[in-house]
Amino acid sequence: MPEIPPSQPASKPDDPITTSSFAFPLLIVSFLLILTVAWSFYDEVFGLRPWRSYQQRFASAYAGYLQKQVAAQKKAEDAVYSSSDYRNLRNTVDRLEKEAAPKDAAIEKQIALLDRQRAAMLDSYQDARGYVGALIYDYEEVPPSDKALRAKRMAAVNDARKNHGYTVDWPVSESQIERRTMYYDDLNSTFTDILGKRAALVAERGDIDKPTKDARTALATYLSEKLPGLNSATMEGLQHTARNWDETLLQINVSPPGASINYLGGAGLVDRCQSCHIGMDPTLVPLGMTLTKADLGMAKSHDAPFTSHPDPELIQDHPLEKFGCSPCHGGNGRALDSITRGHGRYEHWLWPLYYRENFDAGCQQCHAADMVTEQAPVLNQGKQLYRQRGCIGCHRFQGFDSQDEQLINMRQQILQLAKQKADDELEIPRLQKLGDQAPDNDTANKLYAQATNLTVEVSRLDAQSETFEERSHDLLQEIKKVGPDLKEVRQKIHKQWIPYWLANTHTFRPTTKMPQFRLTPDEVQSISAFIWQQSLTGPPLEHQQPGNAAHGKVLLESRGCLACHSVGEGDALVGGTFSANLSRVGEKDNYDYIVRWVHNPRQRTRPYCPYEKRDLGPEDYAKHNLPYVFDLDHSRCPNDGHELVVMQPTVMPNLRLTMDDARDIASYLMTLKHSDASYLSADVSFMDDPKRAADGKELVRHYGCAGCHEISGLEDEGRIGTELTNEGSKPIERLDFARFTEDAKRGILPDGKPSPRGPWYDAKGFFEQKLMNPAIYDTGKYHANPMDALRMPKPNLYESGDVDALVTMLLGSTDPTLPPDYMYKPSDRHRFIQEGWWIVTKYNCIGCHQIDVGQKSVLMTLPFYQAENKVNLPPVLTTEGARVNPEWLRQFLANPSLSTTDTNRNGVRQYLQVRMPTFYLSDDEIRTLVLFFKAMSSQPEQFIPPKVAPLTDTERAMARSLFTSPAAPCLKCHMTGSPKHDKNASAPNFLLARDRLQPAWVGRWITDPAKIIPGTAMPSGLFKMQDGHWVFSGPEPASLQQYHGDQADLLVRYMFTLTPQEQGALVGRTPAGGAGGAKPSGQ
Amino acid sequence: MKTRLLHLALVAAVAIAFTSCGGNKSSESSEQPAAPAATGAAVDATTAGSVTGTITLDGKAPAAKPINMSAEPYCQKAHSSPVIPPEVVTGEGGALANVVVYVKDDMSKYSFPAPSQSVPLNQQGCMYDPHVVALMAGQTLEVKNDDQTTHNIHPMPKDNREWNKSQPPGASPIDDSFARAEMAIPVKCNVHPWMKSYIFVFKNPYFAVTTKDGKFELSNLPPGTYTIEAWQEKYGVQDQTVTIGPKESKAVSFTFKASGPSGD
Amino acid sequence: MDWHQIWEIVSAPDNVPIVALLFLVPFYVWYALKQGIENDRLIAMLEADAQAAKTKYRKTQPWDPSWDREVHTWPYLMRMELLVAIIVTILLMVWSLTLNAPLEEPSNPNVTMNPAKAPWYFLGLQEMLVYFDPWIAGVVMPTLIIIGLMVVPYIDANPLGNGYYTYQQRRFSIWTFLVGFVGLWVAMIFIGTFIRGPGWMWFSLGNTWDAQAVQYTVNRNLDQVVPFSLLHINGSLVAHLPGVTPTYAPILARIIFGIFPLVAYFILAALLVHWVCMRTEFSRKIYRRMSLVQLVTMYVFLVLMLSLPIKILLRLLLNVKYVWVTPWFSV
Repeated sequence: MPEIPPSQPASKPDDPITTSSFAFPLLIVSFLLILTVAWSFYDEVFGLRPWRSYQQRFASAYAGYLQKQVAAQKKAEDAVYSSSDYRNLRNTVDRLEKEAAPKDAAIEKQIALLDRQRAAMLDSYQDARGYVGALIYDYEEVPPSDKALRAKRMAAVNDARKNHGYTVDWPVSESQIERRTMYYDDLNSTFTDILGKRAALVAERGDIDKPTKDARTALATYLSEKLPGLNSATMEGLQHTARNWDETLLQINVSPPGASINYLGGAGLVDRCQSCHIGMDPTLVPLGMTLTKADLGMAKSHDAPFTSHPDPELIQDHPLEKFGCSPCHGGNGRALDSITRGHGRYEHWLWPLYYRENFDAGCQQCHAADMVTEQAPVLNQGKQLYRQRGCIGCHRFQGFDSQDEQLINMRQQILQLAKQKADDELEIPRLQKLGDQAPDNDTANKLYAQATNLTVEVSRLDAQSETFEERSHDLLQEIKKVGPDLKEVRQKIHKQWIPYWLANTHTFRPTTKMPQFRLTPDEVQSISAFIWQQSLTGPPLEHQQPGNAAHGKVLLESRGCLACHSVGEGDALVGGTFSANLSRVGEKDNYDYIVRWVHNPRQRTRPYCPYEKRDLGPEDYAKHNLPYVFDLDHSRCPNDGHELVVMQPTVMPNLRLTMDDARDIASYLMTLKHSDASYLSADVSFMDDPKRAADGKELVRHYGCAGCHEISGLEDEGRIGTELTNEGSKPIERLDFARFTEDAKRGILPDGKPSPRGPWYDAKGFFEQKLMNPAIYDTGKYHANPMDALRMPKPNLYESGDVDALVTMLLGSTDPTLPPDYMYKPSDRHRFIQEGWWIVTKYNCIGCHQIDVGQKSVLMTLPFYQAENKVNLPPVLTTEGARVNPEWLRQFLANPSLSTTDTNRNGVRQYLQVRMPTFYLSDDEIRTLVLFFKAMSSQPEQFIPPKVAPLTDTERAMARSLFTSPAAPCLKCHMTGSPKHDKNASAPNFLLARDRLQPAWVGRWITDPAKIIPGTAMPSGLFKMQDGHWVFSGPEPASLQQYHGDQADLLVRYMFTLTPQEQGALVGRTPAGGAGGAKPSGQ
Repeated sequence: MKTRLLHLALVAAVAIAFTSCGGNKSSESSEQPAAPAATGAAVDATTAGSVTGTITLDGKAPAAKPINMSAEPYCQKAHSSPVIPPEVVTGEGGALANVVVYVKDDMSKYSFPAPSQSVPLNQQGCMYDPHVVALMAGQTLEVKNDDQTTHNIHPMPKDNREWNKSQPPGASPIDDSFARAEMAIPVKCNVHPWMKSYIFVFKNPYFAVTTKDGKFELSNLPPGTYTIEAWQEKYGVQDQTVTIGPKESKAVSFTFKASGPSGD
Repeated sequence: MDWHQIWEIVSAPDNVPIVALLFLVPFYVWYALKQGIENDRLIAMLEADAQAAKTKYRKTQPWDPSWDREVHTWPYLMRMELLVAIIVTILLMVWSLTLNAPLEEPSNPNVTMNPAKAPWYFLGLQEMLVYFDPWIAGVVMPTLIIIGLMVVPYIDANPLGNGYYTYQQRRFSIWTFLVGFVGLWVAMIFIGTFIRGPGWMWFSLGNTWDAQAVQYTVNRNLDQVVPFSLLHINGSLVAHLPGVTPTYAPILARIIFGIFPLVAYFILAALLVHWVCMRTEFSRKIYRRMSLVQLVTMYVFLVLMLSLPIKILLRLLLNVKYVWVTPWFSV
């Protein structure tokens, strides 16, 4: 019971509601409110628009930079302006202008008058025209039947034309004006007439000004030569723009037809990158000039995205207004409110900015069809690795060696044809019988006709299946395996080595292509057992005598083996990385086998029949009493007549060495070994246990060994890995980070260290970890069956950057986010280049040859080919397409010795130690290569043999004297076919020229070879330009004194008509048969 | 993730506030575009000293087999006796010719204008004379052909421009120069494979090529400690350190062992 | 205890209202009750003193006999509202300035986000989907909730307590509110936000939301839980009914079986509700004023409301999926 309040309260406390003051709280909150409002304004202007402050900074810095430039440029310009040439040109311009001035003025006057007249009449003319037009319409509206009305309306029209007058204040001259009345007709005529006059006058003025104009252009060209780049005026212009630059949102807005870039709707590409990277804006920083941080005095700054694009060439090929930035670089081209968002490096943007080491990934999407993309070295390396390290053995990738697939498809087609043929052959007699029993002749004839058609059809089928057979012949030639053929392991390898190798792949050979599999000792034993037991046992190799190792070494270093192979280990490693390092071959291989291999790597012990699915032996051939011979010319199965596998699936070419040389090299290789090879004495009895072999086969299949090796019983194994063609655009949720998902999101690396770039929960992070250690995503996993573990072996990416290269390739391999017309699918010669590179890299042509300008071959980098030894390098092929006759090239590629009898030599440069080997290219590959070379030197696809004007006798005499004059040293270096002379010759035989070369090229060559192949042994300056044609620069032979033609051309024509006899006469001897192998073996 | 946005917004706001009002002195103040290398002072001739010395061969010059010029009748005619390749040329007392002596140290703190007079390289009797040429970067090399046959001059440098010009008999001399310092640039005549010569290009004038008397002098050398190096085509390089006081002249002599380290 | 995880949840812009909710709801509940109780005390006092009640005394807190009985809206109310308006404005502006709308990637129908959560005000409904057939949880329940709220004024038979805070007059309503809104709605939102991780799995607070986490729970329908024999007898009985094919017998059996517990529940719950409502003399007095329709309506909604926590408990404690299974819908 609360106490009753006294009715008359003694004290009267203030009522908090009525008395308490709100002034203070109100003051505070109002103040806060103002602050927040201010903040919101700030946020509006800068907070959400960081690019504004960037632009301010850039503008000021850039203006300062230009100031300096302008000063420098001004100096240079003054220098030029004071030069006499400039003054002369300038004066001529002024003079001509002065001369033309009065005439121009006169014409100007007339034109002005005409313009005034036109203006004066224009209104009335338009009025009149409108009026008459309307009347004519009325007239035309009347149906022809209504003669009366038509006539009436016609009258109206005529009246309007004749009598409907307009008053015009007509300027007669510039001073006086007279008022006259004009009618439609004369208005009309006057008007056209004025236009005519005016045009005439303008033309006249053009003629008068012509000389001035020419002078001006001359002046301009002179200036542009003397002062390349921007002139001070333009720079000042730019400076002015920079000075009073007001921040504005720079946006590239591309909407190519049907574009849905980054799937962001059909709006096309909206790229605002330049709003911060303002240096990329060509209107501010013209494409010509390159702007660096240092130029802006911000070299140290980490927050100055102002440089112009470092590679203007790329920008020229990929114009900003078409490509923008984000399609190549990734990132969120639309976002502007923060760096993270703009670069798309946050959870929700699917195409984050590529990191520096992966920039080239941007090229891949459109250049997926290229094996070699210009200016994308990292990407190219990635593709090369993908092929070489055998990724392709397990992971299909669109465009990479797919011959095996084609072959299978080819076989199926052949089988189908066979079946169809069988059906038809059954059908034919049936139809004929029906025909015989036909009630009347018409039906009979119809049936007979059907029968005959079928017979024709059958022959057509035969033809078709024949072409398929030939194609599969080609394909069988083109199919290469990354690893060696394991069918001949018994003949090649020491038994004990196999298990050791499987367990210690990368320790035995640190630069091997083979990845390290994670195998238990037990698995190792089973696999080795299988490998050993599946291998062929015979027919035995022929026994070889030991050779001369010392000579072998010389050959190995001089014949060009090191373009692909390497010898020596660690820092002592010399040679190419394209194929195996040979430094421990001696430990593991059989001498006899190596001899055979060196002599002809493509030689097999037994041919393989894909239809019978077994390796044939002498017995099969004996059955059909055929000799046991199988090669490209004897490639059909004696049993079923289908194409056989007659060659080793290796890219290693045949160097056409003699048996002795082969023995010498082999003997040298056998000396390359470690003394302490203890494993060779291990007990390997398990390898003969058939039980183990059975398990082994399962494992081999499980680990996909057949992807890279040829293995008995597993010839038709497919690829076991996932296809990676579009791996780059796999949703992150589909990449199984397994136990590392959370760590990846929180930026903790598998080794527990913090990731340098923070969270790595993205494709890049996944690929990197996977490639560095494929087992990583198995850590802590439970596997009921060990085979459930991840299979991917550890790829041997021993060089720094290898991982980045592959990651780059994978990141770039996305579903197209760009419209199809952005993809690089050239239709012109570039297509052939695109196709050619696949072959060139497949066989490592670039190991020996320089093919692309600026590219270095492996040999060029070797110690044996430095300084004066450069002359021993294989020929540079940068202009091969323009140099040689494609038909000849085809023959040469088919048989580089250009001879069927004497093959232990180079066809063209017999003086070179390094050997152009025989690659046994398929016809298809040869075709592609020839087209490639032609395209590379921009030759037309179709080759029309050029005509060489025949020489008259006098000309021939002159040419001969020139050719043999002591001053012309041609025959000193060039081969003549006489062994004595040729042994220190250093250039090809002239007799080859006719079939081999193209006269136009030879013309360019002899006048200045250094231009075509810098550093060539062929000297420049043999000819000098004299009144419009080339003249021999040495003392001319008397007979040439009165020759006024082009002497270079004369010499070329002479070369192309040179005959063995002629040459023989020159070098003073009767020509030996086929001098210098001039005759290409036509095969 | 989301919080990061929140923080980022604030941080960005602050940062931008700084950059926009502070005029981001931090980055602006960083280095200016590198100024061209200051042209060093000329050597003070009053204090300069010099290094002199002789090069000798210890032992017997190896007997090289004579050149076979049969490929070019003219050349053969030019010589009465068969020519020995001038790899090791000795004077009396085993004085060694065709040795290049030079200061190995970096002298770039001084400036040395390239001398105007050109250095000759003659082709006589299908041989280069001199066999070893040394000149300064930018100095003209004048190649003459006194033979009645066409030669071609083909220097094969690593760091300089490579060129290969033919020079018919009686043609005007070829003038060319090398921009960059480089040791032992091999010169070859592709027409006459035996013709060989070496060109040395230096950035400073402290070099000498010995003649048959094996003597050399490097003069006008500012005081200091230098590594003097001697190069011989066959026996490779040797070096010695020498300290020179003002106006001091030191003697340094090198001796190559006949069976010594083979150059290449 | 994965603090990183908790921080991730708490700091998500999406979750700001929810985090606020966790503090604001209790605070206002407490504040309202405080007011109510004080008012009640005042009323009690004035009732005791008719004299005082007659003279012009203000009948709400704060209270002093000497103060005016009424004060003017302007300025005394308006200025307060102005103050509050400004504060709220500031709060909203700061909020909108600091936290951007969480914009996510362009939707990809093949890869949906996990967990996919409804906006905070619907999380309760989403959580309900766990316990009910979508049709019930998504359509029936929401409708009933809305109707229920609309009905409230019509079943309110107590004119007292309008326009001021009081606990005395509205004990029952307040408790209903506490159970229904705070106890169910807010609680379910909390669960949906803090407890439900990837795959809408139950991660007790502070456990990492591991997308690969595997949990073992099997939910059975009631008819599967109870001893089979019962259902068997039931089924056999059904089988004897005319025109029931053996194939449909089990289904029919299930339907029939399911009805019993349901009916039982309704009866029991109704009784419970009745007992609760009729406990005190006060409430009996109130409810006597109500028409039968009003009373029944109230009971029905209360019973339905009760069904929710019961279902939740059945699921979470006994792993019971559905009580009544029919081919068309399940409860």
